Order: sequence, then structure tokens, then C-alpha cells
Amino acid sequence: MNYTFSLKVFLFSIIFIPLLSFGQQVTGKVIEGATNQPLLGANVIIKGTATGTVTDFDGRFSINVENFPVTLVFSSLGFETVEVVVSEAKEINVTLQESATGLDEVIISGLASTVKRTNAANSVATVSAEDLAGTTPAQTLDGALAGKFTGALVSANSGAPGGGLSVKLRGITSINGNSQPLYIIDGVYIDNSSIASGGINTVSGAATGGNPSSQDNATNRIADINPDDIENIEILKGASASAIYGSRGAAGVIIITTKKGKAGKTRLNFSQGVGFNEVINLQGQRNWTAALAESVYGEGALYTAALNNGTLRDYEKEVFGEKGFISNTSVSMSGGSEKTKFYVGLSRNQEDGIVKRTGYEKTSLRLNADHNFTDNIKLAVTTNYIDSSADRGFFNNDNTGATLGVALTNTRPWDYLLPDENGNYPDHPNNSSNPLQTRDLMTNNESTQRFITGGTLDINLYRGDKSDLKFVAKAGADHYTLTGTVIFPKELQFMRPDNGGLNGVSAVSTTTNTNTNYSAFLVHNYTTDNNLNFTTQVGLTNEQFSQNVIRVVASDLIASETNLDQASNQTVNQFRLEQEDFGFYVQESINYQDKLIGTLGIRGDKSTNNGDINEFFYYPKASLAVNLHNFDFWGDINVINRFKPRIAYGEAGTFAAFGSLYTVYGSSSIDGNVGISVPSTRGNPAITPERQGELELGFDAGLLDNKISLEFTYYKKTVDDLLLRANIEPSTGYSFQWVNAGSLENRGIEIGLNVAAFDKGDFKWDTGISWFKNESEMTELNVPTFNLGGFGNSLGQFQIEEGKSVTQIVGTTGPGTPVSVLGDAEPDFQMTFNNRFEYKNFTLSFLWHWKKGGDNINLSTLLSDFGGTSADFDDITLDPNGVIPNGEYRVNNGIFAGNATPFVEDASYLRLREIGLYYSLPTSTLDQVFKGVVSSLKIGVSGNNLINIFDYNGYDPEVSNFGGTGLSTGVDVMPFPSSKRYMFHLSAQF
Amino acid sequence: MKIIKKYYFILLAISVTAFTSCELEGGESLNGASTNSISDDLSRGELPQAMSGVLSDMRNRLNTQVDVQSIFGREYYYWTSSDPRFEGDVVTGNLDNNTFYTTSPWGSRYAAIKDINLMLQGLDNTTADFSAEEINGIRGVLNTLKAHEFLMVANNQYTNGIRLDTSDPDNLGPFVTHDEALAHINDLLTTAATDLANAGSSFPFALTSGYSGFDTPSGFLEFNKGLNARVEAYRGNYSNVLSLLDDSFMDMTGNLNDGVYHTFSLAGADIPNPLYLALNQTSNVRVAHSSFVDDALPNDSRANKVVERESSVEASGLVGTHDVFIYQSNVDVIPILRNEELVLLYAEANMASNPVDAVMAINAIRNAVGLGDYSGAVTPDALEDEILFQRRYSLFGEGHRWVDMRRFGRLDELPNDRSTDAVPVAVPIPANENQ
Repeated sequence: MNYTFSLKVFLFSIIFIPLLSFGQQVTGKVIEGATNQPLLGANVIIKGTATGTVTDFDGRFSINVENFPVTLVFSSLGFETVEVVVSEAKEINVTLQESATGLDEVIISGLASTVKRTNAANSVATVSAEDLAGTTPAQTLDGALAGKFTGALVSANSGAPGGGLSVKLRGITSINGNSQPLYIIDGVYIDNSSIASGGINTVSGAATGGNPSSQDNATNRIADINPDDIENIEILKGASASAIYGSRGAAGVIIITTKKGKAGKTRLNFSQGVGFNEVINLQGQRNWTAALAESVYGEGALYTAALNNGTLRDYEKEVFGEKGFISNTSVSMSGGSEKTKFYVGLSRNQEDGIVKRTGYEKTSLRLNADHNFTDNIKLAVTTNYIDSSADRGFFNNDNTGATLGVALTNTRPWDYLLPDENGNYPDHPNNSSNPLQTRDLMTNNESTQRFITGGTLDINLYRGDKSDLKFVAKAGADHYTLTGTVIFPKELQFMRPDNGGLNGVSAVSTTTNTNTNYSAFLVHNYTTDNNLNFTTQVGLTNEQFSQNVIRVVASDLIASETNLDQASNQTVNQFRLEQEDFGFYVQESINYQDKLIGTLGIRGDKSTNNGDINEFFYYPKASLAVNLHNFDFWGDINVINRFKPRIAYGEAGTFAAFGSLYTVYGSSSIDGNVGISVPSTRGNPAITPERQGELELGFDAGLLDNKISLEFTYYKKTVDDLLLRANIEPSTGYSFQWVNAGSLENRGIEIGLNVAAFDKGDFKWDTGISWFKNESEMTELNVPTFNLGGFGNSLGQFQIEEGKSVTQIVGTTGPGTPVSVLGDAEPDFQMTFNNRFEYKNFTLSFLWHWKKGGDNINLSTLLSDFGGTSADFDDITLDPNGVIPNGEYRVNNGIFAGNATPFVEDASYLRLREIGLYYSLPTSTLDQVFKGVVSSLKIGVSGNNLINIFDYNGYDPEVSNFGGTGLSTGVDVMPFPSSKRYMFHLSAQF
Repeated sequence: MKIIKKYYFILLAISVTAFTSCELEGGESLNGASTNSISDDLSRGELPQAMSGVLSDMRNRLNTQVDVQSIFGREYYYWTSSDPRFEGDVVTGNLDNNTFYTTSPWGSRYAAIKDINLMLQGLDNTTADFSAEEINGIRGVLNTLKAHEFLMVANNQYTNGIRLDTSDPDNLGPFVTHDEALAHINDLLTTAATDLANAGSSFPFALTSGYSGFDTPSGFLEFNKGLNARVEAYRGNYSNVLSLLDDSFMDMTGNLNDGVYHTFSLAGADIPNPLYLALNQTSNVRVAHSSFVDDALPNDSRANKVVERESSVEASGLVGTHDVFIYQSNVDVIPILRNEELVLLYAEANMASNPVDAVMAINAIRNAVGLGDYSGAVTPDALEDEILFQRRYSLFGEGHRWVDMRRFGRLDELPNDRSTDAVPVAVPIPANENQ
């Protein structure tokens, strides 16, 4: 029980020694600048000593000083540190302002340790609550990340309500393995699957054509997380930082910390936002005249008749022209004592889509509690319940003409598609489906009930003068049930048996997903006399993943029933995933007087997903940061007051997809007998995780007393043993096989410049510019060149080829021509420009995001050309000879000539992602009006994507027919168009 | 002190739990039976399921192959609003070696062949109590079906050749010429016939209702012989054709639709007839080539295989006035081999050597469809014209026209409606075969 004894001595010393000494007391109060509220828990330290104290409930402190004058250092996480020179015992009041530079924040450096940003050797991006949703709220968490930090390509797959995004950190990290980052919320591994609903493909037949993907664009499940609850997000962009997550870290890790309670007076926050959204960019219509209608369709008379009856109609506007109502309500409460603190957040978001009967609703309830059993034992518990529902409509590629988008390509203004007074819709005269009928009658809903909970137990086992030892245990669980409901009633034109339809389809897809994770660490700190600090941590981790997807599709429905048994045919399909990973982790960090900070670490991981389930895979890391400005030679008076070169290297892995070890029969049925059929993919029992090694070099600098801060990073990441679902000779009976066969490389530069440009009197201006680019190369490919993510060479597709960019787009350029490179999905660079102005009580902030370059494969216009309805059909901009109209050119000189050039388009954009203007009522007014009940009141207006500049012939260059997986982003096949949003906000604190 | 002890205990408990989970267990495929389970040892219980898998997979992407062949043969056009290549590449003959019309029929047929090869391996390794007759029966059926699948591939690939030995994915056999392929298919069928002749009176598995009348060893043998007659006709071995037809189910006076069929249903994992489309559709249509309508003789009931549309459809300069309506529902059967074809093979095999019998067979067909007796010249050339004409109408939309015109060297007689159009001779080898 030596420890306990030492512990007691230690406790005794910190509590009583200050009282026993014979110094004089300095007392005072620390105030939080933004709210004028007392700040609890701020550190007050006598500079150059270990003597210090912490502010109490009322922000008050008192500290004993033996010799005057002294410099008192006031600091608190997230606030600018303030130093005050005190020459006598007296009362002083100090106001701490929220940190604009982020230099004082701590960022993650190991699974159980953090490091001050000024000492970090990695470029870890941080997004604060204010950055995330302070300007304007995004619909989903991942959407809110776009443009907020360097090195990422965040791209929406479509404008369908409820999200569906792809986040790629520092280029493409895997071709067929997972390329989406790992999300960790308060220590819990969060599932971010995108699970397609059954029934959509049954009707659209999208997977029956050239590409086996169902192309129905499900949401990804990170959308469930409520951005309002988030305090802070840290992004580990590559293996140099994410090595601590071992075989799940290669695509980067997004670590989210939710809001915690603050002790003191219970604070109640209420905010309400209302607004609407509308389509960004309609395509418009072809310039129809009676003559044109006659020459294209022989329907000049119908055109004239409709013109005379006034029934010419813009169906694109009819379908996409809605203004969707948005309402976000959020109530949160925070408070507690020094022992126990709590945070409760309740929010309700509702957003209608720009298409009737689409929309998104989410209710989220959070309870976070922190409890200190003793000074040495702390427990933090987070819980979150989410109920969300998204009505996503019916979009993207299909082979039956049934989706709204494809139906619109065949719809002319003189077609009459409106229902009669009894709700009977006419058949579409020129298409297999009536888009208005489909919109009004079909259902495609995803609803989720999700519970996420996590706990962290911190125990100080030992605290001495020079060293301490801490035990940290974490546990977490993420459980959800996702229900996909798809209903195509039998009244639909394409469901009627006389049109070859299935007489009604009803499908229910139920997914149960449970992730659990446990970890335990010992962290030891030791400081020598000359201020050399060693932090050692060792720990074990265990993660378990379980997913069960059951899809039942029923067709030939009884009457208007939709229960699955009320049908003559049912098809059932089940997918199960069970995986367990086990790992250990060791890390040593050495800090020499905040001058040299070095870290060495290694993680070992094994998993039931590997060929040998008990074989360890090791992921090392090492880093060094040098704070040159802390060395004596740097001197105090220097324009560059802070300069830190840094270097880091780390390795991380990506697992093979579940089941890729096995060649497993699929099931089939004929004549009432069940059959087994060879699968399209041949398994590989020898498959191993792919391995990424990332070297990151850079520097952080502060100029003019940190008024200007500059971050520069160069990285090079190499992915070896690439997991490829490579083509196999199809005469084997398989189409693909899993292999580890190749290497790729990403190189990039990230530059961030933040300037506190002006701060005088009532006016304050902060601005930031970031610029980043990435380039990739397939450095080695041990299987033949292969294609993916497209519809063949005459339409453009991605091609994996040694020595070439991983994201190159290739195609033929004429009959019998060889395949050549037509574009690249990788942007030339991205740039963001971020500003925040404060004048008196007004705040204006906005964020511009420029993506330069990066190509899409745009097939939407081609589909409209086939329908003869493209808006630019008669323009002449594509033909180099200036003769052939675009519509004919794309058809006759494009696809029919085996020329994919017209379909590969530059997808650059410049958009005003966010803008917000807020006004806070002065405290004096509030006190007068509300007599102290309301401590702050803010009103404002904001918007998303209000200005969008692009020369792309589609709804939005941010699009992906195949969802967010791997490479296949940027293929445009009649998506749900994206929207802009206008919001009005009111928020109050009580 | 007490409290500290308690936490040490908790700490200990957590550590113990953590360490005990150190050895991982599990690692199973979970989602289906491994292919090894069949190829390592085919059991009596697995046999019917594996057989159903073969019969089911033989139907996969059948529509793609039949549509493409029918477009090549200018029997009909297939247009879908969402894939323009059916009115583009396939009609212009500008075929890509990595697009679905090339790769899907190839891959699907070889997948069925893989199903069969896994069963044949499993049959060699079986420890089940199959009798010798039962093993002959299984092998005879499997090799007959395998020959059929090879023939499907060979028809498309023609001079580009096909692979025959594909049982080891890591060590594929070479490409062989069209002639070698047909010779091998003929061999397979001949060996299978011997097996079937020694297979007792029943099979230890069920075939589908599409094999009704052919689901015993002796019945299946008649199918085997008929199929071999087709192969030998393709090879020009007309004397063999005649002897094979003798042993087949050919019946000059019988129902021309007697034969073997693929079946379809909407139940569960089964698939609907992929060649069925309702009349007067707009987005997806199969419309007869105008020449089929124009060249039809008066009173020929086979002209009813197409139905005049309420309004014509047009796609990129191609026009369709009649819907193809061979299948009238989405569960209609699709033929594999019919008596009608055998009768016409009989005519073909006799046209040079025994014109009188050839005319007799031609008339059997003509009379059955409402036409009078053949009155043209009884020369080999005239009979070839007549037989090709009868085959065109009798076997419309069943994937014969293009193959027939090719084997008689008459592809250039097939019409092209647009200046950009051309009839290809063969489908390219899929890019992924790395040839």
C-alpha cells in the first residue's frame, strides 16, 4: 500500500502546503470573455514554479505568493492563455478569451494520451463546434466537414435528403478496400455502413446492365450523429497519425468529442432555426417549337394543342421545383457540481426535400455525465439515442425507365401527366413510367433507431513529485436497427401486368448492427530534474463487429396491402458479418523542455478477418517535433515568434472485406428447387490487410506574436499489398478474385494560413486561407490493367494501370481507337477562404470552397439526348467543327462513334459553402427586458451553397451514382439534384 | 483504503477480461457453402441442389446473348432508354471487348460450366453410395449440358475461339479454334451419350418441368442426340446429322414445339423470363426488323410472333412498327432445343444428298404453319434458300439467324438500316481473358 501512502502525502501536499506556507494571498476572479460568465476550472500557476490552483464555481481563486513580483499564468482549455504580472497581494480580475489560434488546445497523440498542439509532430486537423455548425447548420455531420480542413475531399453523392457522402483523406487510400475514414465518438467505434435497401434494384434493374452495383445510393450511417452535440472533431488524415488505430486506421480516423457538462450554474440553451431549401441549378428545357416537336417526334400538332390549351408544362420544375421546409430545434442543458457534471442535449431536425414526399427527420437525445469519485478516480459516460427517417425518392441509374430522373429525360412539355380528380394518373405517352405518379405513390424510406454509449474510467494509481501512473479503461457500444421500406404500389404504370410489371413490389430490409469495443491502458509519466519528460503507455484493445442484414422483397401484391405475406412471391436474402479484432499498443513519448518532442509507438493487431486469425500484424510509428523558438538562440524579439519543424512516420492497415477469404456459393432457384451457383468473386484464403506507410514533413510557424500562423505539410503515403478485387479470366467461371497485388502512392501538400487580421475597438476580423492538393500513382500492379466504376470504354471509365494516376478516367475516342486517358477525378487543387467579422454585436462569417479540376463521367445529358429533351440539344459547343448540335454530337459522334470524350467533364466548382450573419442582443438590453432570466440572445440568418459557380453540364459536379465506395465517385446518372438552404436562427441561453 | 482496494479489484477484473479475449476464435464465411464442399465430395443430399444450380445458371444473361444475336441477325432490335449501346455498338458492329454485350454471355456460360466442373470433380471424389449407373447418369447429363454451354459460347466467338479446359482457375487451358471447339463439343456429347445409355432407368436427381419427357436416361439421350445433330450440322457432317436425328426426338408429324426448355417463375430466388416484354412499351422495346414483317408469306402463322404496335417507335434513326411477342408472360418457357429445329436440320442434311426427303421435311414445316407445299426449284441452292427462310421464321428470336447466315457465308445479305450499321462476324474475346 505504498502507493496509497504516497497518494495521501501527495493529496495532503497539494491541499495543505499552500495554506501552511507563510506567503501572501492573491485572490480574484476569472471571467469567460464571450459570455461574461465566471469560468470554472481555469488553471492559475505562478510562472516558473509548480505552484498553482484552479478556479471554483464562481470563477474565484486564491493563491499564495511568497516573493513579489510574480507572473501569474491563467489558462484553460480552449482559451487564450493570459499572463499577469502581480507586484503585491491584491484582488485581480482576469478575462479569458476563446482561443482563435487553437494553439492552446490539446490533440490526440496516442490511444490514451494527448499533446499540446504546439508540441505535436503531426498535422492533426481540428474542427470546433463553432467551425462545424456555427455559421450555418449542415444536414449531416460529414456534410458539415466539407471545406473545413485541408487534405480532404468531401463529396456528396447526391442531393437526396438524409445524406450519403464520401470523405477521402489525403487521396485515395484503397481501391477495393474501405476508403472511408474510421469514426470514433467519445471512444466508441461508430459504424458508417451504407446499406442498400432491397426492392429498388428489383424495379430499376440497375444492376442487370453493365455494372453490378445496385446504384441506389443509400445513406451512410454517420449521418445519424447530431452535429449540435459535438464539441470538437480531430482528424488523423493518414497513417503517420492514425497508426495508433492499427489495422483500421489507414483511411484516416475522425475522432469526435461531444459536449460535456460544465460545473456551475445550470445553463439552458435553446435554439430554433427555420428555413427552406431549393434546387441549385435546374437544367432547363430544350427550346421547343411546333416545328421542332414535329421534326423530332412527329408531334407538332400535340405541341400546338398543348400550347393553345395552356398545358405546356416544365416537368423538371414540376418535380424538382419544391421549396422544402426546414426546422431545427435544439435544447441543451449543462451544469452540475465539481464532483458530478452533466450535459443533456435534445434536438429535432426536420427537412423536406426539393421533391415532394422526400425529406429527412431526426430526433437525437444525448446525456453525458462526468463523475469524480475521488480526486483520483473519474468516470465519464456518454449516451446518445437517435431516431432518424429519410424519404429518399427514386433516382440514379436504372434499366427500366422507372426512376424519376430517367423518366424526365423522356418527358416533353406537351405530355399530360397530371392525375384526374379521382387520382388516376395517365400513362406516360413516351416512357414506361409517369414521374409524377411515381413521385406521388412510391416509398423509399430508411429509418434508424440507434443507441450509442461509451464510458471512460480514469484512475490515478500513483502520483509523486517526478512521476505518476494512471489507468484508463474505455468501453463503448454502438447499436442500431435500420429498416428500409420500399413500396411500389400496383397502380404505378410500370407495375401493371399489362405493361409487363410485377403488380406491386413491397420490400423490407432490416439491418441490425452492433459494434462494441473495450480497451485498457496504463500511462506512466516521469519527469527528470532538467525537465525531460517521459510518457509511457501500454494497453490492450478489443473490438467486435456484428451485422445482420435481411432483405425481403415481395411482388404481386394483394390489393393495396404491403405486408410481405400479402403477396404471391417473396425473395429473401441475408448477409451476416461477425468480426473480432484484438490488439495491443505501446508508446513512448519524450519531451525535452518543450523543445524536442519525440514519440515512438507500435500497435499489434490480429483479427478473425485474416487468413490466420491469430497472426499479429504490426504497425509502428515515430515522430519528432522541434520547437526552435523555445531554444535560447531564437531570442525573444523575432518576427517569427514560433517555428516548429516536424516529421512523422507511421503505418496503418485496411482489412480485406469480410468474407473475402472464402469462395462461397450463392443460392438460386429453378422450378421450385433450390440451387447453388458459383459466385462472381473467387475468395483468397491467403489475403492479408493492406498496409499504408505515411511520411509527413512540415512546419508550424507563428508570426507577429501569433497574429499570423502558418502550417505547411508535405506527405507521401504508400499503400502496399493493395487489396484488389481484380479481374480474373471470366472463363474460370468467376469474374473477380481477391488478391493483394500492387502498391500505390499519394503525395500532397497542405498549406494553412490563419490571420487575426484586425482587432481594435469594436471591430475584429479573422481570416484563413488553405490550399491543398494530392497526386496519386499506381506504382506497382501485379495483375493486368483493369477497369472499374463506369459503363465501358465508349462512355468513359476508371482504369487501374501501373505508372498512372489511380483516378485516371479512360475511354476510346472513335471507332477502333485505342483506349486513352480522357481525364482524372483527382482535383488539381482545392482552396478554401474563411472569414469572420465581428462588429459590436454583429458577426458575419462565410466560407468559400474552390475545387479546381477533377473530372466526372457525366451520362445524364446523354440520357436526355436519347429522350431528345436535353436543354442544350440544339446548341453547338461540342463539335470542334462547329456544325453538329450537342445532342446529336453526343449520340452520333460520341457513343455511337465509340468516342467517350464528350462524357468526361471538368467538375471544378467554386461555392459559397456557408454564410451566416448573427446579432447578439447587448447584455444591458437583455437584463432590462428579461430581468436576468435570459443571459444571451442571438438572432441570425444563414445559408448553405448560396452561390455555386461551375461550368458543368449537370445538376451539380458533386455527384456519385455509385455512392461513396472506393474510386467510383463522380459518375453522374440522373441523380437527385442538390439544393441550397436559407435559414433564420434564434438562440437563447438561460 | 477500502475504496482503493475495490478499484484495484475492478482493475484486475478488467485486465483479466482483456487478456482472456487474447486468443481469437471464429473466422467463418457465414454467408454460404464453400465451393470446396461440392468439389471435395459430392454427397447425395447436395446433388439435386448442385444440379438445380447448373440448370438455373444456364439461364443467366440468356437475354443478353439472344438479344445481341438477334440484332446481329437483323431479326429484331432491342432498345432500352437507359442503355444506348443496344442501338449503338451492337447495331453498328463496333464491338468493345470489355462491355457487357461481350462479357456477360461469355462469363455467364463459363459460370455454368464452372458449376458443372465443380460437380464433376465432386463426382470423382465422392464417398457417397452412388451406383455405377447413377454416376453414369449424372456424368452424362452434366457433360451434355456442358456441351450446350460451350456451343453457346462458340456461336458467339466463332473464329476468335474459346477455352475448353477451365477447371483449374490458376492454370487455364489454351484458346482453341472454332473447328476444334465444335469437335470437342461433339466428343463431349458422344461420350455423354455412352454414359446415358448405361445409366439405368432413372436419375438420382430431379430436372425441371422444362425437361418433361426427357427426364429419364433414355429420354435425356434423345435430347443429347438432337443437340449433337445441331453440332454436326454446324460442322457440315450431314451423314452424322441424319443418324443422330434418327436417335433423337425428331418427329416429322409431331408437335413442333416438343423439346427441352428453360423454365421461369417469380417465386423466391427464381428469375422471370428475361425475354418477355409487354406490348406497346416505350422505354424498353423489342421490335421486329422491318424485313421480318415485309418478307412474311401470307397465312404464315409464324408472322404472329410479332404484333403491330399502336404507334411505332424510333431510336436514333431506327424504326420499329411491330413488337416481338414470342413470350406472352414473364413465366413463359424459353426453348433450348425444339422438334421444329430438328425437322429443319433433317431437311438441311438432305438438301444435297436427298432433295426429296429435304422437301418432305420442308413441307412438314410449311403445312404446320399454314403454308402450302414447297413449289420452288429442287436444287441444292434453291433448297438452301428455302431452308434458311424457314429457319428464319421457325426459329425467330431464338438466336439462330446470325449463326445460320454466317455458316452459309451469307452475312452480307443481312440488311443494314443506317449507313453506320454493319453485321459483325464474331464477338471479341473479353478483355479480361488477357489474350
